[in-house]
Amino acid sequence: MSTATLAEVAETYRHPESLGNFLRDRNPITLLVALVSLAVVAAAVPGLITPFAVCAVFVLLAFAGGVGPAYTATYLKLWAVVGFILFLLRALLLDGEHVYFTFGNLQVTAEGVYEGLRFAAVVMAICGAVTLFFALVTMRRLMLALEMRGVSPRASYVLLASFQSMTDLGATAKVVLDAQKARGIETEGGLITRAKAFFPVLAPVFLSAMTATEERAIALDARAFNSPAAHSHLVQLPRTATWEWLAAGLFAAVATACVMGRFLGWL
Amino acid sequence: MALASLRDVRFTYAYSDRPALDGITLEIESGMVHGIVGLNASGKTTLCSLIRGIVPHFHKGELEGSVEILGRDLLEWDPAELSRTIGCVFDNPFTQISGIRETVFEEIALGLENLGTPRAEMIERVERVVEQLGIEALVRKNPNGLSGGQRQKVAFASIIAMDADVIVIDEPTSQLDPDATDAVFGIIADLKAQGKSIVLVEHKIDLLAEYADRLTVLRAGRIVTTGAARDVLTSDELIAAEVPVPEVTELSRRLDAIGRPFVRTPITSAEAAAAVSARIQEASNAH
Repeated sequence: MSTATLAEVAETYRHPESLGNFLRDRNPITLLVALVSLAVVAAAVPGLITPFAVCAVFVLLAFAGGVGPAYTATYLKLWAVVGFILFLLRALLLDGEHVYFTFGNLQVTAEGVYEGLRFAAVVMAICGAVTLFFALVTMRRLMLALEMRGVSPRASYVLLASFQSMTDLGATAKVVLDAQKARGIETEGGLITRAKAFFPVLAPVFLSAMTATEERAIALDARAFNSPAAHSHLVQLPRTATWEWLAAGLFAAVATACVMGRFLGWL
Repeated sequence: MALASLRDVRFTYAYSDRPALDGITLEIESGMVHGIVGLNASGKTTLCSLIRGIVPHFHKGELEGSVEILGRDLLEWDPAELSRTIGCVFDNPFTQISGIRETVFEEIALGLENLGTPRAEMIERVERVVEQLGIEALVRKNPNGLSGGQRQKVAFASIIAMDADVIVIDEPTSQLDPDATDAVFGIIADLKAQGKSIVLVEHKIDLLAEYADRLTVLRAGRIVTTGAARDVLTSDELIAAEVPVPEVTELSRRLDAIGRPFVRTPITSAEAAAAVSARIQEASNAH
């Protein structure tokens, strides 16, 4: 990379970081409030239409945020596995008056199917909100937004490092497994073969992670991580407009109203 | 003012029954490269940790004797202030990356963020360090995806960006290939040229001979010898401590043993080349 390109990279940090998408450039906190509010509405409003509509809205928002295909594929998989199982459990186990058909001791009733569909849709709306949020927002942007609102850099580091450590642990486990494989130990094949190879590597993987954590703590200390000075930030998020906070407030108000309405019997 | 002044220091790690350092009296001067050599478990890293304040602030234990860093008692230093004053680069390149930054540019800026450096100054300093170390090609990359050598360069860049006058470097090349080792020593040479005070632990004695002004040899937590690099590298104490001597110094010793000594014992390859040339010249003149 030439010096000119280095200058270009440096220049990008002089301005608020834009991801070039209206939705993804929103403040992560307002986006989180909006998505959680939608999930709450899905859970609070009775009937099937609202939770299914909220799920559909999440897919539309994913396309608006430029992550549509990947999000839809993940969401469909979640529906196919989690949603379907939740539906089946409710549909098969819930008693009702209108019996569609019977499997031995199990009865599929109209009430069970309804409750199964609603329960699955509500849970999937909640899953959808979480999945969409992390599809649209990186952990780094979320923690940066939280730091701007007063969360300590230490707490922010712990969260970010925890997520990174999952990746690191996976990579270390793979290295140890490859080393085992090189020594002639069977690491591939059926579930039992793989389990036999995998469980013994857990101890060295976690021990090395603990050692690495101590070294990393000292290395961070060398970067003045414990400095009492107020930390500054290289990366800036775009300024959050007033309308964005108002919109988030509106979403939260609607969600609160729905919950209150549910408990007070308005809905 | 001395960078570090140790008087009869003994340090035993908590839960250990044997001192890691014992009877250490040493003066480390500012503005020099002070090399520390010794076999494994001779106390090199503990000595670095002591100078850097990691011992006893982070690694607890029993510290006896007097340790002064830049004229102030070690125990009077605030650990955070000491970490700003003395930069530190460690041996393991894989644990020196924070793991929480998305680009190398951001990783290098992390220390400056922690110091509360204004953004404009931060960007300028990172740019300068990136150019100085020639790592322009890395700035956009994710630090978690770098090789060991690249990570070590980024670790150096991060510490240099913080502009500490003193840098403790603990076996920076122990996990690096020869190319990356050369690159790291290139950085150390630059830092030396800038007048930084450097404490350097390194097993590669030939490289230490090139760069160190003074050397301290440790064995089993005690100082075997300390002094000007040339004096130490040509001394018998180095061999007694089972520390390898530079290859060219070993060559000179063998020539000495067969009655063909060089006029001056070389400690670097450049000095050896000059001595061999002189010997060849001498031989051709004789014919």
